[in-house]
Amino acid sequence: MSDQHAKNRNSASSHAAEAPAPAAGLVAAIRGASAEIRLTRLTALRSDFPEAAAREGGVELLLEESGAADLRRMAGEGGEAYYFSADSMTEAYALHLFRIEEKDPVRLVADTVRDDSRIYPRPTDVRVFADPPFSLPAREVAEVVARMEMRPDTADIKSGRASNGALYLYSDRFLEAAHAESLIEWIEVGQKENP
Amino acid sequence: MAATYGYTGKILRVNLTTGKISTDDTLKYKDFIGGEGMAMKIMWDEVAPGVTPYAPENKIVFGTGPLCGTGVPCSGRTNITSLLPSSPFHGVSSSHMGGYFATELKYSGWDMIVVEGKAANPVWLRIEDDKVKIEDARWMWGKGIFDTQAMVASFMGKEAQVAAIGQAGENLVNLSVIRTGSSHSAGGHGGVMGSKNLKAIGVKGTGSVKIAGDRKAWAELDKLMMSVIGANNQMVVPSSPQPWAEFNDKSSRWTGRKGLYWGAANPPVETGECDPHDMQSVGLRTMKAVFDFGPQAEKYTVRMGGCSHCPIRCHSQLKVPQLSKYGMDEYVSNTCMGWFSPRGVMFKGIKAFDGNSEADAAVVGPAIGAKLADDYGVWCNYGQIGRDLQYAYETGLLKKVLPADEYASIPWEKLEKGDATFLIDFYERVAFKKGEFSHIADGTYWLAERWKFGDDFWNGKVYKVWSRQGFPVHHSNEAGGQVGALISCFSNRDAQNHSHMNFIGSKLPIALQKEIAGEIFGSPDALDAPSDYKPMNEYKARFVKWSLGRSMLHNSLTVCNWMWPMSVSPLKERKYRGDTGLEAKFYSLATGIQLSEKELDEAAARCFTLFRAITQRQMGQKDLRVAHDQTTEWVTHAEKGKDGKEIPQFTKGTIAMEEKDMELGRTLVYREFGWDEKTGAPTRACLEKYGMADVAQDLASRGLLPV
Repeated sequence: MSDQHAKNRNSASSHAAEAPAPAAGLVAAIRGASAEIRLTRLTALRSDFPEAAAREGGVELLLEESGAADLRRMAGEGGEAYYFSADSMTEAYALHLFRIEEKDPVRLVADTVRDDSRIYPRPTDVRVFADPPFSLPAREVAEVVARMEMRPDTADIKSGRASNGALYLYSDRFLEAAHAESLIEWIEVGQKENP
Repeated sequence: MAATYGYTGKILRVNLTTGKISTDDTLKYKDFIGGEGMAMKIMWDEVAPGVTPYAPENKIVFGTGPLCGTGVPCSGRTNITSLLPSSPFHGVSSSHMGGYFATELKYSGWDMIVVEGKAANPVWLRIEDDKVKIEDARWMWGKGIFDTQAMVASFMGKEAQVAAIGQAGENLVNLSVIRTGSSHSAGGHGGVMGSKNLKAIGVKGTGSVKIAGDRKAWAELDKLMMSVIGANNQMVVPSSPQPWAEFNDKSSRWTGRKGLYWGAANPPVETGECDPHDMQSVGLRTMKAVFDFGPQAEKYTVRMGGCSHCPIRCHSQLKVPQLSKYGMDEYVSNTCMGWFSPRGVMFKGIKAFDGNSEADAAVVGPAIGAKLADDYGVWCNYGQIGRDLQYAYETGLLKKVLPADEYASIPWEKLEKGDATFLIDFYERVAFKKGEFSHIADGTYWLAERWKFGDDFWNGKVYKVWSRQGFPVHHSNEAGGQVGALISCFSNRDAQNHSHMNFIGSKLPIALQKEIAGEIFGSPDALDAPSDYKPMNEYKARFVKWSLGRSMLHNSLTVCNWMWPMSVSPLKERKYRGDTGLEAKFYSLATGIQLSEKELDEAAARCFTLFRAITQRQMGQKDLRVAHDQTTEWVTHAEKGKDGKEIPQFTKGTIAMEEKDMELGRTLVYREFGWDEKTGAPTRACLEKYGMADVAQDLASRGLLPV
């Protein structure tokens, strides 16, 4: 595997070199799932490819040595790992899927909000979590926001409302309150009045 | 006549007083590029200071440029230049419309139309290739634009493209439009057409635009263009996370995604993901209906429409069956301010009405307003008409200035309840100049004079008035710090400048945008993050000059300044870099006149300097810094935070500018243009450098040239 980021899904052939025979099935499975915009769990590979799993070093070493430059690996906190092909999705998108797979909605929301506050920087409209790829029910989003206020590991996540009542979240590690509030009003109200 | 490329080589001149129709040579104006630039030259040469907008001596110039009709993406724009009735000094200004009119004009063999004089009776202008006739329009007069277009088409055929005015233009309403197609309006100059008794222009062409350059090179350039083009307003990241995208931003106009449909199409059409490598889905990227209205618009959307030669379809074409209840066609189309300005008139909000749920009312209400404004041909002064009404109503001023019976006849209860049928009454009073109330469409300056608006109106941030000239904020400090603020200072109407916003608003992360700003303007400090503005510097001044110049360039070429310039790209393999030299590359290939990016920017600066000189001559002022370039007070006053305390300028969380810093900004921009740094007036050296010694001489003879 390589750190080189794939250009796009349409240029997959440039990265999807044939893997050596023992790893070929594994690589094909990962690429197939990625083409359907799914991550592949390490545990699923071990289960689907028992012979590969039984080899010394197991599935992970086979994939390491496969030479498939498009493959990426992400490790979860519970010991699970996930694979995807960067020819089918960006690392940014895979990260969203990874957070969804980890099934900790509080962490999902908090980490997404932190990314927005750090990268762009911008506050995050909570309504985005009801849309794909997150697709959290609106009620669950409200519960998550309430739970974040009580969890010490999400103490940096703050909320603010625009003058039209829309709720936004931001991380005060990356956005100051006054800045965030100004941006919330701009994104939600000002921008729409000045199209 | 020698072959011409890009240009057709001919300007059509029509004198409505004498009925004389003549031809002029386009290329004698070629230093002024086309469209707006050439129109400025004609206005300087031929319209004397002191002429008023509705006088026969005023001229109105319908202009295309050398890229229009060539197939360059987003090149279907018509530039219209004339004196502006709503301006306090009737400042020369331009309005613009998309659609298919400009391309058809080129195909008929004309680059521009210059209309002068005044017809004795209502007329319309019929252009079929080189056959041009002034036709009787007495039977069209009094009709709305939709009927007028149908009437012209009944003579010329459905292929004809029509630009027309409605009752507002006929009645010399200052805030009126000229419209083509179903929704492409040029705001501000409808009354000028009306004053000339010119109801419509119909055009049909069977020719083509010849390109000088090599076909292969043209195809390669097209490919390059399609690798940098984004969605509407050159937003290059999608509004939701997508597998192909590294970035996303909910407020992006790149709204296409899996599961989103043109829901009223038969069968419904899914926009899909619109991977930027797939050129076939470019037209699906901008699902503007849901951007403008929210998710409830999906079921009303038949498709997205737009202009000739534009892959970005930014006009929502809706089927709103509820409109038939009001005697209107259920099909309605518009974009951006076309929907927002009726919403602005309904400043108390649009709520459930006439059996429409609140969600449906949010579409039906603006649709009613757009339909009326488009048929009557009413302009909104970039949304300001609603805020003018709000001030007059909420301060009780309206009750004082309107006769009691007139005030009582207006259905205010509908406004209060959020019933959008209020708009039916509103637009009728405006278009037919009914009563004192109709002065609401005189334009903010004239209205404020007439109804004696107080300083609280001019200086209050809530009313968004940018200048004492009576035009509002339009992508100014709220969006671009000093860059946006200074751009607005040089205009005679709302700035209508998107050169900066098509970069600032790309939705890429700020660090990446600053890198690109550094490459274009010499330093990343040319660009600040929104609401995190830093003091003025020379790089921002370069950004301002570039933005003003590019807007003039686009309106001269003519390409769409709501898409161009191409500073950024949606492609990671391009490191999200666009190509700011594309205009020059297309211009050189199309015309055979080889100009570099820098040379074309200089030509644009020449045109902008001429615009500045016309403004100065019209105002008769030596010191434009003081007389023209100032803002209303809210722009440079500290804002208060939620805690009620003032937020100091140049700290995070405020968009407020600072007076001294703005003055420095003006100085730096004057320097960039080579104008007088004290007064902002063009100098002799600058004018002579641009080959305009005659302009310098004229200004000197009036005592306006800086010493």
